[in-house]
Amino acid sequence: MPKVLVVAESKNGEIKKPTLELLSLAKSQNLQAETILIGNDVSSHADLLAGYGAEKVYLADDAGLSIYNTSQFTALVEDAAKQSGATQIWLTSSETGRDLTPRVAARFGVGALSDVTELEINGDDITVVRPCMATKLVQQCRFRNDGLKVISIRAGTYEATEASAGSADTVSLSIPEGDPRVEVRNIQVEETNEIELNEASIVVSVGRGTGGTEGCEFVKPLAGEMGAAFGASRAVCDAGWMPHKHQVGQTGTVVSPDFYFAFGISGAIQHLAGMSGSKVIVAINKDAEAPIFKVADYGIIGDLFKAVPVFQEEVGKLKN
Amino acid sequence: MEIIVPIRQVPDVALNIRVNDGVVVEDGVSFVISSWDETAIEGALQMTEELGGEVTLLGIGPQRVSEALRKGLAMGAHKAIHVLYEEGQTDSFGYAKIMTKVMEGRNYDMILTGKQAQDTDAGLTASMLAEFLELPQVTNIIRFGDLAADGLTVYRKGDHGTEVLGLKLPAVVTVNDSLNEPRLASMRGIMMAKKKPMESLTPADLGMNAEELGLQGSMTEVLKFEKPESRKEGERFEGEETETVPMTLQKLVSEAKLAV
Repeated sequence: MPKVLVVAESKNGEIKKPTLELLSLAKSQNLQAETILIGNDVSSHADLLAGYGAEKVYLADDAGLSIYNTSQFTALVEDAAKQSGATQIWLTSSETGRDLTPRVAARFGVGALSDVTELEINGDDITVVRPCMATKLVQQCRFRNDGLKVISIRAGTYEATEASAGSADTVSLSIPEGDPRVEVRNIQVEETNEIELNEASIVVSVGRGTGGTEGCEFVKPLAGEMGAAFGASRAVCDAGWMPHKHQVGQTGTVVSPDFYFAFGISGAIQHLAGMSGSKVIVAINKDAEAPIFKVADYGIIGDLFKAVPVFQEEVGKLKN
Repeated sequence: MEIIVPIRQVPDVALNIRVNDGVVVEDGVSFVISSWDETAIEGALQMTEELGGEVTLLGIGPQRVSEALRKGLAMGAHKAIHVLYEEGQTDSFGYAKIMTKVMEGRNYDMILTGKQAQDTDAGLTASMLAEFLELPQVTNIIRFGDLAADGLTVYRKGDHGTEVLGLKLPAVVTVNDSLNEPRLASMRGIMMAKKKPMESLTPADLGMNAEELGLQGSMTEVLKFEKPESRKEGERFEGEETETVPMTLQKLVSEAKLAV
């Protein structure tokens, strides 16, 4: 009997949307699903997870787990997977997911398929599609083994469906010792009141065409007014105009919102690789030859500094 | 500080990549060192320049991989290991097993490599290697701090912010490209690279047999490669922003169902 263990994630006191997407996927495939949630002060989320279909919630709730570390998280997932008898472990493509997926797989002596954008599930028989070569190609892959299958799924690939009220069946995991070879000394936390890039349905993003921090700050309020997350190209972040947390791209955050507005972004390959999954791309750029226009559904050849105030006015009208 | 940098030779993803019958066409392809691995080479060079020690590159693949290794040596790496490998399709698990064998009996403080390779974008091999070697791992680092008695300080880009970690060596570390700007090889570097030691090994030299190699040694399999459905170029608007913007927004609402 197939059974999925979803590795849940939380941030700022909420379960992250990609976790709900995975649970919803399991439900839509009629797969038995359980989940593991690791963190500090996270037990209150158990009922929510149950409402999304987790038949059991394995909890590791401890102050020492507020920041991710490979050793304890791998050991905890291993413990939950063994207790659960899971035949599949699903993770998201967050930084935690990317670090944890291969370590968990290797712990069990099996392989993994990461950053999956399409799954074909027949019980435990799984074929996936995943991007490669900076998203210029996709590859169709399958597992060769009959045993445990470990998969990470790109955020935004599947929808989180509406949940019912849930009452969780929880199992408390014993917290393993940390690895003394890795000491978490500090974390430089970022602002918490902004919409997450990889959970937003609209992203407003800025590139080198803004000319500097001032230019980026000129565009930023539009994001708030549209209820959008604010993103930036690698060039903008590397130049120090915007903090790296805003970076959209293959080495920043990979996004797949419903709408992606690119202001003054030329469309370098690694940037396109990070947003080509967007449903609708709108590009605003002075340069008619900018590569981004080749992938934009709507392309405005114009001055972003003139365009932004007009956007703001029109968005204001739409909201009324 | 002895650092081993596994590198992957990949088709240049900045250029056109062609697929024929589900397989990537190699004819006429320009091969390069995977970009994140170049970052790792640069990081290793900077560290050994400051702290002493040597940078050893590791490449696994057919004969052409030696060219990528020479390029890394031209950047300044001290020596290279080429596992001459022509066993066909191999996944991250398979590569990690081969690397584990290579590391046996070798002395190193750090295995430093890119967070993912540009051909697969899988990001699995380094962490699997760390598990097989029972070493600690830190992935996605954006900065190195000081090396002290109680460990090396590293800055990792995590989900909640930048994590500052103290890492006891030996360890496996993967890099984000924000770490540095890789240097270009100089003419002198290219000349000197020709004389630097390149150790050539085969899987048999590593004591590996057929079941551990290629598809047989892999846990996952690529069935085929395809071009993704390409985005078509959409509508363009040129003119006064006071006209083009409202026009675009109107279409976004009526055609694409934009709601704010």
